[in-house]
Order: sequence, then C-alpha cells, then structure tokens
Amino acid sequence: MTTNLPKPLKPFTTAFLGFWVFLAAFPFLWMFLISFRAPVDAFSFPPKLFAPITLEHFYTVWILDGFWKQALNTTIVTLGTVTVSLTIGCLAGYGLSRYRGNLGFWILIIALVFRAMPHVVMLVAYKPAFWAMGIWNRYETLIIVLVAINQPFTIWMLRSFFVNIPEELDQAALVDGCNRVQTFVKVIMPVMWPGVITTGLFSFLLAYNDFLISSQLMSGDHMTMTAALSNYIFSDDSLAKLMHGVAGAVSITIPLIFLVLFFQRYIVAGLTHGAVKG
Amino acid sequence: MKIKTFLAFVGPSVLAMVGLIAVPLIGVVYLSFHSSYVKTEIVEVKSSVPLFGGLTKTTVEKVPQPVLDENGEPVKVWEYVGGRNFDTVADPGGLVAAVSKDRSTTEDGQPTSFRQRMDGLYRDVTDIDFWGALEFTLLYAFITTPCILVLGFLLAVLVNSVVQWIRGPLIFATLLPFIITPVVGSLSIYWLFLDNALVASLLEQFGAGKIYFLKDAISIRTLIVLYGVWHVTPFAFVILYAGLQTVPQDALQAAMVDGATYWQRIRYIIIPHLRALFSFIILIHLMDAYRIFEPVLVFGSNLFANSLQYLTYYILNFEDNYYKAAASAILTVIGICILLLPVLRRTYREQKGVA
Repeated sequence: MTTNLPKPLKPFTTAFLGFWVFLAAFPFLWMFLISFRAPVDAFSFPPKLFAPITLEHFYTVWILDGFWKQALNTTIVTLGTVTVSLTIGCLAGYGLSRYRGNLGFWILIIALVFRAMPHVVMLVAYKPAFWAMGIWNRYETLIIVLVAINQPFTIWMLRSFFVNIPEELDQAALVDGCNRVQTFVKVIMPVMWPGVITTGLFSFLLAYNDFLISSQLMSGDHMTMTAALSNYIFSDDSLAKLMHGVAGAVSITIPLIFLVLFFQRYIVAGLTHGAVKG
Repeated sequence: MKIKTFLAFVGPSVLAMVGLIAVPLIGVVYLSFHSSYVKTEIVEVKSSVPLFGGLTKTTVEKVPQPVLDENGEPVKVWEYVGGRNFDTVADPGGLVAAVSKDRSTTEDGQPTSFRQRMDGLYRDVTDIDFWGALEFTLLYAFITTPCILVLGFLLAVLVNSVVQWIRGPLIFATLLPFIITPVVGSLSIYWLFLDNALVASLLEQFGAGKIYFLKDAISIRTLIVLYGVWHVTPFAFVILYAGLQTVPQDALQAAMVDGATYWQRIRYIIIPHLRALFSFIILIHLMDAYRIFEPVLVFGSNLFANSLQYLTYYILNFEDNYYKAAASAILTVIGICILLLPVLRRTYREQKGVA
C-alpha cells in the first residue's frame, strides 16, 4: 500500500501510535521499575517516579527461595518440548505437504479441532491417569504432553512452509536415486531452516508461557518458573510476598524480551505465514 | 507420495495427538458418566463409659464406617450415573426455575418494569456457576473480537504509513503484550490496579476519590476485557500488516487515477483484499477467547467473572471431583464445537477447493 495518508491525519497518526506504544510497554516498564524498590516505594501515595534501588527481592526469590531451580526446570522442559515438537512436526509437516490423498486433509481438519480444545479438558483425564500410571511430576511427562498439545499448531505451520518448497526439488533428488528419507534429510531440510526457526520459536513460547498444564502436572522441586509464580501471588496478601512475585515475574519476562529483540523478524514471518500464504 | 510413506512420516505426530488428545477426550467422556464413592457399612460399636466407683456403662452405637479390603484400603465403588454429573454442573432444573420464576411483582407487591424483570432473570440465570461462566466467556469473546479487528487494522494502516526506520521499534513494542507470558501480562495489569497501586493512587491524587477496581464486578470484567484486547491486538496487527504488503499496487494506482479518495481505497480495495485474513483472525481468536483462563485466575474471584475453563479448573482442584469436572469439560467442548462449526465448514470448503 502506498504511504500517502490524507494530510490532516498525520498528527493523529503520531499521537495514536505514541499512545499505543505507551499502552503496550508501560505495564512491563512499571513492573521493572517497582521490582527494584522497597514495598513502601512501590505502592506509595502519591506514586513516585524515582525511588531508592534495592536488589533485595531478586536476592530473596533467586537465592533464598531457589528460583534458579525452577529456571533450570523451565530450561529442561522448554528445550525438550522444542526438540521433540520440531522433530515429529517436521516429519508430519513434510508428509502432509507432499501427500495428495484425502487422509492428509482430514488429519489437518481434526488437528484444527484439537487446536481449539481448552487444555483443562485434557487435564481432567491426565490427572487420574498419570497418577495411576505413576508418571506424575516428571519432566518427560510434561514434555510429551506439551508436545502433543502443540502438535496441531506445529504441523499446520510447518506444512505451510514445506508447501512453499517446490516439489521439483524432491523429484530431482528421487530421480538421482535418493529414497524419501534421504530426500527429506539431505535435500529438503537444509532449505527449511527459516521455517524450523520460526516454528521452534512458537513451540518455545508455548512451553515457556504455559501455566495451566505445568502448574498441575509438576510440583515441588520440579515446578517451572511460570507455575512457581502462583506461590507468590495466591498465597497471601502480604506486600513483601507480592514484591517477590514482581521480581519473579520480571525474571520470567527478561528472556522473552531478548527473544523478541533477536527474533522479531522470524516471529512476524511465522504469524503471517499461515494466514497470508497458506 | 505413497500412502505407506505418508503414514510413516505423519505417524509419530498422529500418535502423539491420538494418545494425548483424542484418548484423553474419550476418557473424559467416560468419566463424565461415572462416579465413585467409598463403600461404607453400618457397624455396631460397643463402648464402655466409666461412671463412678468403678462402675461402667456399656453403650452400643451404630456408626457408618468405610469397608476395608484385605490390604486395609477402603473399598471404592465405581458406578454408572448417567447424566447426573451433567445435571449437577448445568443444573437444568435451576435454569428452568430461574426462567419460569414469576417476577411480575416485587416483594412488596409493586408491579415490575420489563427492565427489572430482565435484570432479575439475568441475575438468577448467571447465579448458576455454569451459566455464569458461559455468559462471561461468550461476552469476552464477542466484545474482544471486533475490538481487536478494528484496533489491529488501524494500527496496521498507521504503521504502514510511517517512515521505514521507525517501523521496527514500533513492531517490537507492539509484540510485547502478545509474546510475554499471559500470567505475567495479567499480573502486570493487576499490579497497576491494586487498591494502593499506581492507577488508583494517580486518580486519587487528581481528585477522583478512592476507587477500588478489584472489588466490583463491572470494573473487574472491564479490566479482563481490556486485558484481552491489549493481549491479542498485536496478533491481529501483525497479520493485517503483512497482508497490507501484498495489496496489489496497480489496483490502488488505477483507483487513484480514477479519483478514488483515501477512504474509498480502504473501503473498496484494501478491506476486500484482506477479507480472508479477517476471518483467519476471527477463527483463531474465537478459539483462544473461548479458553480464556489466566486473567480470570489473576483478577481472582470467580465471584465476579468466571470462564468455562476456569470453572472446570476450579471443580478439578478445589472441589476435587473428577466426575463433575469431566462433565463440565464435556459441556465446554460441546460449546466450542457449536461456536466453531460455521467457521470450520468454511475452512473445509476453502481447503477442499484448493486440494
């Protein structure tokens, strides 16, 4: 689209965009600001823009409460989820993009329905089943659950990336004597990296941001960071505890900010891919 | 590709989805028709109570006690209960009573207005947990959807009209509410609106008096809806922004040559070009809005605003009743199917047309 907005709208544009950026970023900025303050300064009347800085809340949360352990758990779970998700997702996405029959179409439609399932529905079954099987509170369990829940979205997205790779490439490789697996590994995957990175980012976000499933399947030493936040916010109303929650929330946010900074291009590509092209 | 190869490729993924989504769904259906309780029996318990001077009185009481098996564990009875769990969740009896209740006069015999009767009906129906949760879930979905479409489109058009170098930072800031953990995002808003926090303090300082945002159903509901718009608008924006890049330039130029105004170009060229994207955003957002959970959890108090997913979570965790939770989950699934049926039919036709 051309950039010529009607002249009288120009000041409106600046004002509106400025206002929006303020709205989008302010809650996080304020959270950062108060996480370094004593409780009295964080919730003061009248509100203060400047106040003495303290690292006390971060110290309590990370060192005394062992948030580092939860950070480690989050790392294990998210890395595991991303790896498994991408592995089986790429296989399925490739198959779905190259197969012409009806079955592939139905798998995609059913996956779309699965995508709509509220997660608590599955949780109702997981709770008694995992308890009976004795696989409660284990990394593998959470990883495989997150992978499965993530699959519908993953295969849709990866498929739309694979569709954009011309089939002539496959045919050339097949004629040259590769079998399907060799074609997939040696010819197709090397040109799929943008798609893999984008889908990987979204798998990461799903696993990292998940609260409901993680907080229900893991407890004690196995809690993830996001799930552990509930320790601080729902336990009681003391202001000190609330401030620890703020420090925890800020700790969770920082990696995500860097993620957006470094991978903005891929995130935008991913969000637009499914809709615009496929 | 041959079907055998195809099956080998999609196998692991399909297995994961069947094993951890489809089978659990069937399990939930099964659970929802059953119930279990600890088997009890009436036992005669003899006890002697000392009276005085070494005399005792022996009493025999009948006490219910759990039946124990040979390992000393209580015996659980598992039974098929038909639709009983659904009845406790959806309370059709209560619903009928609420609808058919006579509200033509107030308690002191005054005739009521239509408005009062509707208010009374609304209050009685939403008093039942399930219908209250359904009401707010749908309210949330249907209020946020048009808001994010309009706001996202506006942002996309405006960002598209500013100079190139500033677009990167703009998109960065815009993505934040969408990317950052929903619990954290909800909390960051919640912490602004606490009774002694920034917004309330500022308003008080400017003479608006003391406002308690989190003590009132209307303000809590408004906050949750605003959070929803804030959280999802970036998603609509990014998709529409990318769509704007694909609008055919020659059509726009032809329209300009023919003297079309800016609004006419938006109305007759750009919006029709983006139509598929609008329906994509609606589809995805309806799915996500229907399972709204984190803000309801954070803004607390299912008293004021409840959602279907939160209701099931609550029954599962705080009432600790798998069977009732299963029934609530099944009703939730039926709801999403009804809601998505029109959109799914459309997707079906589109995909069929392509394939």
